Amino acid sequence: MSEAATKLAARPRGRRLGWAGRVGRRLLRRAEGVAYWLAVAPLAARLPASLAYRVACWRGDGDFLYSEGKRSEIVRNLRGVLGDELSPEEAERLARDVFRFLSCEAIDVMRLRGRARSLGSLVDIRGREHLDAALAGGKGAILCSAHFGSHMSVFSLLHASGFPLTTIGRWHWNYTPGLSSAQRRFWDLVYARRVLRHRQRPNIEPWPGRVQVAVQAAAALRANEVVTICSDAPPLDADRTRAMEVPFLGRQARLLPGVVTLARLTGAPVLMASVHRLADYRHQVLEISPPVPVPARGETATAFAHCVAAMDAAIRTSPAHWFFWFKTDDLASLGLLPAAPPAGTPAVSPQPAVGEPAALLEDRRSASVHRGGQHGQHEGHGSGARVQDDQADREEWPAMA
Amino acid sequence: MEEVINDYISQELVKDAALLPISNLTSLLDTGILDSLSLLRLVNYVEGRFGIVVHDVDLVPEHFASVDAICACLRARTWETASQAGGHE
Repeated sequence: MSEAATKLAARPRGRRLGWAGRVGRRLLRRAEGVAYWLAVAPLAARLPASLAYRVACWRGDGDFLYSEGKRSEIVRNLRGVLGDELSPEEAERLARDVFRFLSCEAIDVMRLRGRARSLGSLVDIRGREHLDAALAGGKGAILCSAHFGSHMSVFSLLHASGFPLTTIGRWHWNYTPGLSSAQRRFWDLVYARRVLRHRQRPNIEPWPGRVQVAVQAAAALRANEVVTICSDAPPLDADRTRAMEVPFLGRQARLLPGVVTLARLTGAPVLMASVHRLADYRHQVLEISPPVPVPARGETATAFAHCVAAMDAAIRTSPAHWFFWFKTDDLASLGLLPAAPPAGTPAVSPQPAVGEPAALLEDRRSASVHRGGQHGQHEGHGSGARVQDDQADREEWPAMA
Repeated sequence: MEEVINDYISQELVKDAALLPISNLTSLLDTGILDSLSLLRLVNYVEGRFGIVVHDVDLVPEHFASVDAICACLRARTWETASQAGGHE
């Protein structure tokens, strides 16, 4: 199945779609995304795990085939960041896995029902003793991760397994301008509601003007709870002055060292977490590290570099698990890719639609920037029709998950 | 109280010397003096210095808009705490 999908994807398309065709395809994908989350994934999740995740992989392969623009964007970004480490074939294979993992995540979320046992039987939590030891100190624990793997579902699982856990992160659909209330409600219904059933507190949502975020996190830590934070998100414009340049994926990336500052102010230890899916797509491993050294005083950069190095290692080991490959603007904002091209390059609607995998993930920056304008510049995208086609693909990327 | 808090903010939280001296009416949020993490430092300081617990419900931007606003909030909290203690006696 996998080879066939990759080969099929490599075939050039025979004809370009007209306006009506693109609109039709967009609507179809949107409908498919809604149907997948509302009906297919909930039903498939009740099947034996091997079958459920096979269904998800089939769906991922389908999206890999039909989301041509987004697929090429992922391949280009993978090679742009990881460079010659990846052959074109390897990048295609990883791109296919990105699609599969996103579809599998829907199954993970659905398997959080009840006490999450049906997901729990598939996830091996390694390093639980480090978390126990950290909480024995009485100052809570900060679990730091990248947007990597099915981390939101697995954090829910960690809570269900007995660790009171709260997440610092925002549901981006609550902040993205232009989303309809129906879209917001949709994602609340199919995603947030299920994930938040297994949380100690509602998400602590950072956003400009919400100055209480760190105090709320500190309150959770004082109560000796676990607080999770993703430190690989591109800084919001309002936070750019606080961003720090650190070595990340072979470049100097701009990231926010809030995890280190929070740890210093609260005395809570920082542990790194990474979630990866095994080759059978249904089993996952959550690895929790021993505490990262965060001296009470000293250079923030050094302490934060330890955290970033752990995220870097996880991404390099299994690149397809990282969320940002299909976010060209975010990769540019991080400093991993050249900045967006000047005005005049086709821009893509910043409004994710129902079904967008981005909507699955919290901690997203504002969508008020142009996304991935490099499309028009890239080799193989010379014709205007092709660019428009890609653009439609990217607007319809939402339907993928 | 105003002087103590103003001194702490001026010495520990203001990163841009051009903003000094700050008055008790200076907007701490609009000027960027207070962000999420510096608010945590301030709350830690206030709790230690005045023996007050700042609750989630107090964590609204209006209560931290200026030194005067912070002091008004803290006084109300102190008064409430004292009333409750008196009521229990």
